[in-house]
Amino acid sequence: METPPIQAIGLRKVYRTRFGSRRIEALAGIDLDVRPGEIFGLLGPNGAGKTTTVKILLGLTRPTAGEALLAGIPSADPESRRHVGYLPEGHRFPGYLTAAQTLSIFGRMSGLDARTVKGRIPGLLERVRLSDWTHVRVRKFSKGMTQRLGLAAALVHEPDILLLDEPTDGVDPVGRREIRDLLREEARRGATILLNSHLLSEIERTCDRVAVLRQGRVAAQGTIEELTAARTSRYRMVVSSADDALISSLRETGATIERVNGHLVVSTRDLEHVNALVDRVRGRGALLSELSPVRSSLEDIFVDLVAPSPSPPVPLSGSIADAESQTGGRGDGGRQE
Amino acid sequence: MRAILASWEEIFREAAARWTLLAYFALSTLFILLFAAAVNLDVVNGALAGAKLFGQSVDLGGRSIDIDHLVLGFESGFSGFLYIVGTFLAIFATAHLVPRLQEKGTIDLYLSRPVGRVPMLLSRYTGGLLLAAANLVYLLGSLWAIIFWKTRVAHPRFLLAGLSILFTIAALLAFAFLAGVVTSSTGVSLMTTYAMFFLAALLAAHAKISAAMSSEWSARLVDGLYWVFPKTAELGRATVALVGGRGTFRGVADMNYFAVYGSTALFLLASLTLACWLFSRKDF
Repeated sequence: METPPIQAIGLRKVYRTRFGSRRIEALAGIDLDVRPGEIFGLLGPNGAGKTTTVKILLGLTRPTAGEALLAGIPSADPESRRHVGYLPEGHRFPGYLTAAQTLSIFGRMSGLDARTVKGRIPGLLERVRLSDWTHVRVRKFSKGMTQRLGLAAALVHEPDILLLDEPTDGVDPVGRREIRDLLREEARRGATILLNSHLLSEIERTCDRVAVLRQGRVAAQGTIEELTAARTSRYRMVVSSADDALISSLRETGATIERVNGHLVVSTRDLEHVNALVDRVRGRGALLSELSPVRSSLEDIFVDLVAPSPSPPVPLSGSIADAESQTGGRGDGGRQE
Repeated sequence: MRAILASWEEIFREAAARWTLLAYFALSTLFILLFAAAVNLDVVNGALAGAKLFGQSVDLGGRSIDIDHLVLGFESGFSGFLYIVGTFLAIFATAHLVPRLQEKGTIDLYLSRPVGRVPMLLSRYTGGLLLAAANLVYLLGSLWAIIFWKTRVAHPRFLLAGLSILFTIAALLAFAFLAGVVTSSTGVSLMTTYAMFFLAALLAAHAKISAAMSSEWSARLVDGLYWVFPKTAELGRATVALVGGRGTFRGVADMNYFAVYGSTALFLLASLTLACWLFSRKDF
């Protein structure tokens, strides 16, 4: 079996406050396998453990327990980063360096010889639309330009693995699309990409698989289709000419009802319940103008998984259920006590 | 090696961009040019027959001064001046190297490369020393060349003073790196290193201080600190004596050079080892 380019096995990280009086559990046992050539998205609310996971993978932070491997090499070994490109969030390149000098210095720090780096710089800056800024000092760059330079620095040694933390942060919509295209090119070249982003639409458009972290655990993991399909069992009916008696009758069944532009929008998750509702609507002589299944977006999944929900969890199937069974089977992705 | 060279290049580019290097070279050049233009010596048979300073004749009182002695006096005095000024300037120009590396958003860029943390820290340290050495070589070398041009007297020992100064800078920079790793603050690194310089210089009188102490433990503490800290006062005197000879300072003749340089070297090694160990264990 091929070694996963990015692997986390039971990663735990406990931070202690300065005088050790408090313990903060940033990661509570993360298992991840990113396959070769895959674009993998890491999602989660602030403090879910995304950045800590990436930092442990890069050896910037030591895990309290568990193991992180890049190309099968433990992250504590600098050699594990030989073929890794990393774009940190909020990175700060030395402002006194020009774009070309930045790429030259960081390229050589990645083990390239000066001549190779020099040959790659023009093409790389062209790829990230910075070729007009080759000899301009980084301190003059806008946030979006700095971000694109960061991407170029992550790619300078043609890495097999890319770890990108909010790569489109501060980039305009056109630039975002260009970065998405660039990532797809890299994936086609065979690079494995771990993308850490708050922009769910970005993840949805770019990633092959995602993992949603919550409170230091993997709350769900799988392809976008798998995750959204697991939560597709919601149906929406639009009813016209509904009277108060019908509304009361529908409400009695437990359906969610709201009025929109004089119409009644009724929604439920159960197919038998839908049929019962249709019978009631038709029995009262009201008009059923629309009936459709509602497919959840990644955002719906994300919100469901990370937001504390007062209502009992909806039964799950597929990979979400699998993932949640690891967290104690509570279905809300909560911690195992 | 490529990573180390890249790190050195970055340190020199930063020094140039921050004007530290340029200002130092400009001031040094100004001093060298002034010295070259202002001093005109009339040497006859190895003795100073006449001298002009800024075009004005200097009254030698009809005496003939041994030029070799005069040059030696100037060189030893200047090496003492450079010991203080050069050390302070070098620490000022390099103490930020670790705190700046550890800044949020910067450290990730460096440590995500296939370079171990210890080589990364040591490349910054050696880069800082190279910067200091370049400054010393330029100033000492130029002055030495001008003195030789004006007097035909060459004392290689004047150049050796640079090594002694660089050794002191190396010891203090190791301590500045340790403070930088622990506190991530350039200001604290600078203050603690300068404080260390002065405290260590005060402790040169440890015998008198401990004799004045009321308790035995405090006297032992003073003596202990003296042996732990770098010997900044003795190193200054040793630097001057290295150029001017052992008779330059009282007490230099019976100075234990091995103890002075050896204990300072141990301080350097201990500081650098501790800095590397802490840096390699730090979470970023």
